[in-house]
Amino acid sequence: MKSFIAALLFAVIAAVAVAMLLNTVQRPSSVAFTTSGARVGDPGHNLTGPV
Amino acid sequence: MSKTISSLKAVCAAVLLLAFALPASAQLSFKPTAQAVHEDQLLNALKEGDKITGRVSIPDAMASSLIQPAGREWRDFQRHKLPIIGGVVLLGTLALLAIFFAVRGRIPLEHGFSGVKLLRFASYERFIHWLTATCFIILGLSGLNISFGRALILPLFGAEAFASMTAWGKLAHNYLAFPFMFGVAVMFLVWIKDNFPNRLDWRWIREGGGLLRNGKHPPATRFNTGQKGMFWIVVVFGALMSVSGWFLLFPYLPANVTTLQFWTIIHAVIAMLFIAAIFGHIYIGTIGMEGAFDAMGTGEVDLNWAKEHHSIWAEEQQGHAPSPAGAPRAMPAE
Repeated sequence: MKSFIAALLFAVIAAVAVAMLLNTVQRPSSVAFTTSGARVGDPGHNLTGPV
Repeated sequence: MSKTISSLKAVCAAVLLLAFALPASAQLSFKPTAQAVHEDQLLNALKEGDKITGRVSIPDAMASSLIQPAGREWRDFQRHKLPIIGGVVLLGTLALLAIFFAVRGRIPLEHGFSGVKLLRFASYERFIHWLTATCFIILGLSGLNISFGRALILPLFGAEAFASMTAWGKLAHNYLAFPFMFGVAVMFLVWIKDNFPNRLDWRWIREGGGLLRNGKHPPATRFNTGQKGMFWIVVVFGALMSVSGWFLLFPYLPANVTTLQFWTIIHAVIAMLFIAAIFGHIYIGTIGMEGAFDAMGTGEVDLNWAKEHHSIWAEEQQGHAPSPAGAPRAMPAE
């Protein structure tokens, strides 16, 4: 049972850690793909754009 | 007279109109504008591998693909063929397991519990198993929701609940993929030494692993042929799911859209087969065989269970007792 609980905790902690890491390393598409010649709008949380 | 002149003008006008109208109607038998804008004809005119591309100034080069007919086949597969294939594989596996259980019943421990325990899996082995297993279950459920949720769950819970559930499932799927990949890699390193095929495997296969009737148990080392098969399924399918999933997580890594579509299909098809295989694993580890769950539950199995299903391993463990802490050893039940 201890192994099971430890595995659950590790999975959650690892997932959160990866999410934080990726959010630090990666940039939103609206920032990453904006150049001097093209501005990409911020889609927000909905990838199809503002409702 | 004037009436005659008017009639003559009318006839001339009609002749002239006819004279110009005929070539015009002949030209209009081919209507380039009307046909060119017809999307289906345009797409059908493109051969396999063709695509219409443009020029973009943003760093995402894949955005330059405007029309790619192969995308329709991919969409058709994802929306229509995959749910059918997946449904048949998953429901078929469950049906086969149910029939097997109805016919064979729970495989009993023929000589009963001896009360003597053998440590089968150390705590770190159980940890890595449950880490991979719990991640797999969440990944599997959230993945199945992508294929079947719209048809099965949306009508039950409504659009808002389904949208929230799917969004959270997507987040869980994206990030629990990492501990899952870690778990598969560690399991591979920890257990590969016990999972190479040997001469006993052929005998195990010929005797049906002792699963088909009572009183017959082919000898096996730490892992029998069925368990070795499951190990390699997890390793190979896990690797394929990891590579394909990596491309889905980072969709700008593949060279083009076609490659990305290829990996999405690999991801989806292997997922269905993987889940079906794990159905079998869960079955035999829980209700299918008496005493089997203890191996991953407490880490200890009964000596009689070990003798019946892993006779060579049981003899090795008894011969080595008492062993150093952390290593498999025989111990009395508490």
